[in-house]
Amino acid sequence: MSKHQYAMVMDLNKCLGCQTCTIACKKLWTDRDGTGYMYWNNVETRPGLGYPRQWDRIGGGWKDGMLQPSPLPTMEDYGYAWEYDYEQRLFEGKRKPVMPSPEPKSGANWDEDVGSMNGDENYFFYVPRICNHCTYPACLEACPRQAIYKREEDGIVVLDQDRCQGYRYCIKACPYKKIYFNEVKGKSEKCIFCYPRLERGEVNACAKQCPGRLRFVGILDDPESPVHKLVLVHKIALPLFPEKGTQPNVYYVPPFNPPKRDNYGKSILEDSRLPLDYLVYLFGPDVKNVITRLEAELKRAQAGGRSEVLQLLIGRDAETRYRIRPQLVQIQA
Amino acid sequence: MRTRQLVILSVAFLLLCVALWAQGTDAVKPAPGQSLSVIASTSTVDSLLTGGSAAWNQVAVKHIGLNRTPPLYDTDEPAALEIPVVDVRLARAGGKLLVQLSWRDATHDAVTLPEVPNTPPETRFRKVQTEANDRFFDAAAVMFPVKGEAGAITPSLQMGDAEHPVDIYYWNATRGAMLMEAQGRGTTRRTGQNFPATGTYQNGQWSVTLELPDLPPGTPVAFAVWNGSQKDRDGRKYFSVWQVLE
Repeated sequence: MSKHQYAMVMDLNKCLGCQTCTIACKKLWTDRDGTGYMYWNNVETRPGLGYPRQWDRIGGGWKDGMLQPSPLPTMEDYGYAWEYDYEQRLFEGKRKPVMPSPEPKSGANWDEDVGSMNGDENYFFYVPRICNHCTYPACLEACPRQAIYKREEDGIVVLDQDRCQGYRYCIKACPYKKIYFNEVKGKSEKCIFCYPRLERGEVNACAKQCPGRLRFVGILDDPESPVHKLVLVHKIALPLFPEKGTQPNVYYVPPFNPPKRDNYGKSILEDSRLPLDYLVYLFGPDVKNVITRLEAELKRAQAGGRSEVLQLLIGRDAETRYRIRPQLVQIQA
Repeated sequence: MRTRQLVILSVAFLLLCVALWAQGTDAVKPAPGQSLSVIASTSTVDSLLTGGSAAWNQVAVKHIGLNRTPPLYDTDEPAALEIPVVDVRLARAGGKLLVQLSWRDATHDAVTLPEVPNTPPETRFRKVQTEANDRFFDAAAVMFPVKGEAGAITPSLQMGDAEHPVDIYYWNATRGAMLMEAQGRGTTRRTGQNFPATGTYQNGQWSVTLELPDLPPGTPVAFAVWNGSQKDRDGRKYFSVWQVLE
């Protein structure tokens, strides 16, 4: 077990699907050879195919203490990275429109905003995803090279590029499909929770750039941190697919009260636009309790009372949303 | 049905463990069938490497049986014994030991990866892109102990052990030749050194020639073959038991 655990909470009620987090991550970490198709941070529309396609239905994680490896997703499942022929247009004077190649046929969030229907009403929401930096990482167990390790000081799961031989057992084992193979290098890569930034007291790039201010970052066992309060005190944030058994350290405040036509103000539990079954599918049965708590807070605020939970979720400033403590997690010499 | 499969798998695994243990941890006197003759070749290293069959004609071939490692997980793809034999020829020339491995393989699992320019990626409009993430390539390797212990103890077949480190001359149909070293299962490390090697695939047959340092008679050597179409990599492979150079 790690001495401390960095964690992230994302409030799905605030995500507008703008992909600024995706680009912040991409410009910083995956703008290299072999990394075009990979998004360490992606935002996908739910219900939907996800990225890679059907990642939530193919396997991975633990069952009865045993790894449950899935098949490897294919490039069609991720979507090929396409490039634009800027050289021809901008420098070679060829009078052609700038075109992507190969022809885009699939990609991350390809089914953006498609969602699903509940009766005659459409519904969808966005789920931003990074590596969950799990407490019991299936990827770590699957690697015969011991190339993956969980940092003792802060619980961040990293993949040693010197030890990795590109076997891809980790990709098969990860139930969230958050490890990617770089065929140009012959090695696998993953989200590093921006540990070089955290070590300097700066928050993760995806959180820093989020215009919706929906990301909260801190140390789970630090009572002053927003993630500790949201997850352990107020109990309104849940991990994705808890039944996969890896105990993720990224938590989500579920979408809880979108209005339905002619039905404004009714609870999701009474008459939901988002089918509750789908939220249970994503976050487990405890999501009902979380929604009940959130609605109680909302009603209190609407009645003129003060809700500490909602104030925290609004997250007006960086001090509220982030508590980065490099000194706390430093390894004592 | 499932239980029966598990029982058969377990028994097979146990038998293999016993075989590996007998091979790996005991002082094994090589059986007569396990010795490999080496010819002092009159050809040059280069002509042996570039594989003209004429250069290798004078060298006797030894058919060496291959085994499959057991699956790591019961969800692994089944692995049939598609490559039961590797043909080995050995020749000394120019102070080197040349090893030619040939085996029948119905699938040619090798690609030419896109070339990566020397300039930093951020200075280029285009990056080199990953073309596929689920393909594996054919490969072969020769393993021998680092310490010359002629006629005595052979190291563990599972990449040696702490007292008996091994060198592994590994060739990959896509990524080329690389020298590795290991001191037991899971410790294999690329040294960063390369060595001369060639491989050709013709008429459903691989012929791979590796240039090793000259090894003294009595040195144990073991061989491995990976079949990309069977998703072979790592310990998922074909292996021979130890053979001894004459």
